Order: sequence, then structure tokens, then C-alpha cells
Amino acid sequence: MLNELLALLQAGGVHRVDDLARELDTTPGLVELMLEELARLGYLEPLTQPCSAACEGCAMSGLCAAGTGSRGWAVRNREQGDKETGR
Amino acid sequence: MNSTNPQLPAPTERTVLVALAGQPNVGKSTVFNLLTGLNQHVGNWPGKTVERKEGQFSYNGTTYRLVDLPGTYSLTANSAEEVIAREFIIREQPNVVVAMVDAAILERSLYLLAEMVTLPAPLIVALNMIDVARQEGIEIEPEVLQAALGVPVVPMVATRNVGIRELLETIDGVVNGRIPCTPKAPQIRADHQKVLDEIKTLIDGCVPPPYPPDWVALKLLEGDEEVTRMMRQCLSEAQWQAVQHVLRAHDDALVAVAGGRYEWIGRMIRAAVTHPRPGQIGLTERLDRWATHPAWGLLILAGILGLTFLLTYALGAPLQTLLDRAVVGALADAVRAALAGAPAWLAGLLADGVIGGAGAMLTFVPILVIFFAVLGILEDVGYLSRAAYVMDGVMHLMGLHGRSFLPLFLGFGCNVPAVLGTRVIDSRRARLLTILLAPLVPCTARMTVIAFLAPAFFGRAATLVSWGLILLALLILALAGALINRLLFKGQRAAFIMELPLYHIPNGRTIGLLVWQRTISFLVKALTVILPVSVVVWALATLPGGGTEQSYLAQLGRWLEPVGRLMGLDWRLVVALLTSFIAKENSIATLGVLFGAGDETGLAATLAATYPAATGLAFLVVQMLFVPCVATVAAVRQETRSWGWTAFSVGFLLFVSLSAGTAAYWLARLGGIA
Repeated sequence: MLNELLALLQAGGVHRVDDLARELDTTPGLVELMLEELARLGYLEPLTQPCSAACEGCAMSGLCAAGTGSRGWAVRNREQGDKETGR
Repeated sequence: MNSTNPQLPAPTERTVLVALAGQPNVGKSTVFNLLTGLNQHVGNWPGKTVERKEGQFSYNGTTYRLVDLPGTYSLTANSAEEVIAREFIIREQPNVVVAMVDAAILERSLYLLAEMVTLPAPLIVALNMIDVARQEGIEIEPEVLQAALGVPVVPMVATRNVGIRELLETIDGVVNGRIPCTPKAPQIRADHQKVLDEIKTLIDGCVPPPYPPDWVALKLLEGDEEVTRMMRQCLSEAQWQAVQHVLRAHDDALVAVAGGRYEWIGRMIRAAVTHPRPGQIGLTERLDRWATHPAWGLLILAGILGLTFLLTYALGAPLQTLLDRAVVGALADAVRAALAGAPAWLAGLLADGVIGGAGAMLTFVPILVIFFAVLGILEDVGYLSRAAYVMDGVMHLMGLHGRSFLPLFLGFGCNVPAVLGTRVIDSRRARLLTILLAPLVPCTARMTVIAFLAPAFFGRAATLVSWGLILLALLILALAGALINRLLFKGQRAAFIMELPLYHIPNGRTIGLLVWQRTISFLVKALTVILPVSVVVWALATLPGGGTEQSYLAQLGRWLEPVGRLMGLDWRLVVALLTSFIAKENSIATLGVLFGAGDETGLAATLAATYPAATGLAFLVVQMLFVPCVATVAAVRQETRSWGWTAFSVGFLLFVSLSAGTAAYWLARLGGIA
């Protein structure tokens, strides 16, 4: 299931946890757990979201990635992932 | 991984050793205190600063020694707590291990269990907090979970003393062999089973007791530091090299081992857990079938965007005109009348510079309030997240899914965080190019200017023009994004997980607060940035005397006018574009100063009467793609650390915006839009 999740993320784009859970025939909770695992193993690199005071007064904050509670990851290749975890 | 079938060690001297394991905050301490009462003592684990709690209790004539193991999320040697917990279970071989599990976050709790079932100790699962799980709509069938796990499961609510007696009976039953305990352990992914077998063969006979060889082989495959260190000392050099050779040849074994555990957790969840869906979720899903559909979702977004502008213009524009004529105009006249005896420059400064410039911005407040309110309603209802989701889909389709995606997406709010956001890009070349593209994203301030000037130039067609301008900006961005993705992010992918809230009835107070905060933020900007610039523009438009046409500003504007003429812009519009460099909204303030407050027709009507629609369109196109504000340029300088690249960025955007403006002007003229 972990591999299937990685394959789905490797296609890039935007996903919802609920959709991923549906595709993998499991629960959103387990998808969350697997995302954490893939990040821990170095296969996903969290993309930090810069925060700016400018966002506070921004009318479009709800429309941008920072305001929707979205999380971004870059999917790393296997060599990069293994390097991260010291293998 | 293979299935373990632990043999039950007989209790010695009628004292039974029980270990209490589980994650932090799962209710271990509550159960520990309930069972041992005051009969407990606290110390430290040998050589560690981790607290060790131990106590005693009696049940059915048997004395039990209960050890509370440190709270852990797994049994990999990531922390002292994890090493203590697993070493205790392996070395002390408790008669039974009670694994506390949080029913409300069962998946997370099951990960630890997936590791525990491979250890040689009889196991009982204490399924705690079933009341919380039930409140959250999670129904767990303990009997089914028990059958799937192969170990006894005791449902509990420890805080209310529910299930404690059943737990004691189960411990007694397992210890005395009345209740079977045959855990069904996770299996490693099939393609790695042979690798695991190979390692087992290589370490056969070398694993120091009481470590189970199967568990040691699995941990070697996982790269567990403690086990690797231990086996390095137990194996001969030739054996060690052979093991290393196998590990190096299967560098994805970690995912195979973890993947096996997640398959196992998935099976348990599928078997024993039901998540009933409340009606509200059903409604959200039904609406989302349309709102997040790749094609329908886009049409709905385009429709809602158009409706937003339509509402803003239909309700806001008349109010703006009224304010312009009745308040700003009247106020400017009153100031001129009151200062009739004062120096002319003072009346000019206040009436034209302050009221004409900043006042023009203030007349814009009704439009902004309506715009913010419509966006606030869309946000509070839960639609804006869907809009972002649908937009993501479009960008993805156009190939914009590299690391440049996130910073560019942030730019819709403000270009400054977009430029700062390029820090997520490793490659300097790719980062530089993304920085150059970030200002092409239409930010809120640009949208604000469009929202004011589109109805001024185009009246009823303003909605269509605004809609088209946003589409144009996105199209240019998408083309540029696709280009950099092809050139610089070959094969690299970025994935996003987006949380979409449930749709709900909007809350008036929340929206009101949102509109208030954003309006205040705009007014602060108007007073601190736009007003001083208006005064400077007024001074330049007044000095050295002899009227606006002979002013320094006019001289500067005329010097640049030949460029403006390519797209039908006179010196006033060129100067308005220039002042937008300080803040985008200054364009409006500058036009307010140059066309003077107190004009009975109002600024919007004056602009409409002065300029043909083709000029208006060209001005708006240039405004949409022009050099960003000074804050963004400063961010570009900061992030590129190069004045050369900063100048290039400004030059590039000048070229793009002026080219697009010229093209729009001539296309509009050819199309008969005079």
C-alpha cells in the first residue's frame, strides 16, 4: 500500500487525503500515517510554506496554498530517499 | 516477517510479570494507577533518564508485577524510549504484554502493534477510548479485530473504569493458557521475502539469545542501528560482508518492510472498523462531484469569478460614483473655499494632493468591501479551497507541477511570499527563473486596481474584461510555467495534499470580521503608502508652477510618452503606471491627483470620457503584467543577491507588459473597439 501511495504521489498534482484513501481502499487516517512514513524515509520532502505578514490582510488568502491548509511535498527518487535515511 | 507463535512462559513463584505498552497519551498511566493503586514506585530505567514506573496487584490469588513501559510510537531504535520498551520485552520476557490502543486513532496505534506482534511475548490489546471513537463516528467490532489480530481484544474506557475487570480476567486467562494468543504478524512485501530469508540464513546460529533470529533479520533489513551494531560484533567479517552485500543490493527494503506493516494495518481496519458517514459529508461529496470536477469545476469557478465581479461592480460602482461626487468632490470644494485666503499651494496640496489622491482611494472602499464580502462568503462556505483545487488541476495539466508550483501559487495572495517561497527550489538556475516569473501572478493589489478601473473604462462590459484579464495573466503564467517545467524540472514532481473543508452555512460574524480586517489593512496602506506618494505626485505635478501641463511630472511623462503612444497611453497614464511601482493602488491615486478632485463627473466618468476603450484595455493589460511593487522587487534583490538579476527581472517584466499592452491596443483597434 505504501508503494501504491508513493506511485500516486509520483504522478504529481493535487490530491485530497479522502481521494487517496478511496483509491487505496483504506482510511484517511492510514493515508496520513503513510505520508508521514514516506517523509520520514526520505521519499517525500516537505516543501515549507513561507509565511508573510502580507497574508494577514490579503483578500485572496483563502484562495492560495497558504490559506487552504494544503501541504506540499517534492517526491524524491530512491537514491535521494536512501541518502536521507543513511542507507 | 513471519508469524510468531509464542510459547507461554510459566509464572514463577506465583508472581506474574505484566508489561504495559503503548503510545504516549493512550491511557497507560490511568490503567496503571487503577490496577496498582498506591502499591507502586517510580524510578529511572538503568543508565537512562527515562522514568520507570512499576507496581503490584493481586487477582484471583496471583500476584502481578506491572511495569509501565515508556510511551512509544514504534519499536525502531529511534529513541531511548523505543529501545527500552523492546529490550524489556525481549530480555525480561514478560508473561504478558498489554498493548494499550487508542480506538479513536486506531491506525496510529496499530503501527506499534504491528511491531509488537513480531516479538516473543503473549499479547493482549486493550482497546481504550471506545467512547471517544464512537463520538467521532468510528465503530470498532472488538470480536472481529480479535479474530483478525489473533490476540485477545478488550474494549475499555479507562477513565470511567470500564473494562478493567475484563482486562484482569483476560490477563489471567492468557497467563493460565485458557485464552489463546496466536498473533497474525505482518508479512514483508512478497518481492522481498526471499531477501529476508537470505539474511536469516546468513545470520543463522549467530544471533545472541534471547533475541529472536527472525526479528533480528527483519531489523537488519530495516537498517536498525542498535541491531546492526549488535550483529556486527556477532558475525565474522565474511558473514558481515555477505549481509552488507545483500542489504546494498536491496536498498528499497525499508519501504518493503514498512509497506508490509501498512498492508497489515489496512487489513485490520477494513475488517473491524466502520466509519459511518453523517449527512453533512454526503452533501459535501455531492456538491464536490461538480465543484471539483476537472471540467465542470472550471466552468463553475469561471462562473463564480464572473458573478463576483458582476456583484462587485453592480453594487459597488454606483456607491463609488456617489462617494466621489458627493463626498470627495464636496470635501475638496469645501477645503478650497475654507482656504480661500491661504496660500494657493496649501489649498492645492490638501484639495488635489491629499483629497484628490488618497480620497480617490477612499471612494474605492465600497467596491472593496463588497469584493471582500463576496470572497469572504465563498471562503466561509468552503468554496475557495475548491477553487484552489480546480486551479491546481489546470496548472498540473499545463505541466506546472515542479517545485516552482508552490511559490507561484502563493503569488495569488501577494508576490512577496511568492518570491520568498522559491527557497524550496534546490537548483539555483530553476530558482532564478521562478523568481523572474513570480511577479506575473496576478496578486490582490493588481486585482484591486482592475476592480476599480475596469468599470471606469468599460462600464457594463467590466465583468467580461476583468474575467479576460485574469485569464490572460494565467495563460501567460501557465505557458511560462510549462516552459520552465520542461527546461528545468525534467521528471521532477511535486505532490500536494489539500484539505477541503465541509460546505456549511456562512457565518455573518466571521465574514464581517474578515471584511473589517481586510478593509482596515487596506486603509492603513492607503494612509501610510498611498497618501505620501499622492503628495509627492501632487508636488511634482504642481512645481515649478504654471499648471500641470508644464510640471516636472508632465516633463517626465512626456519624455516617456513615445513608449506609451505605442499602446495609446498619454503621459498621465504613463505616470500612473510608474507610480504603481511604489504600490499598485497608486495608479488610481495618481489619476485622482492628475484629473483633480472636485470634478462633478467623478474620476471614473472622467476617465471614461477622456480615453477610448482600446487605451483603457491596453492600460489594464500593462497594469496586470507590469513591474511589481517595490516590496516585491526588494524581495527579488534579496533572494537573487544580485542587482544584475533584479534589473533583468524589471526589464523582462517591462518587455512582457509593454508588448502585451501594445498587442492588446492594436488588436482592440483592429477589432473595432475604439
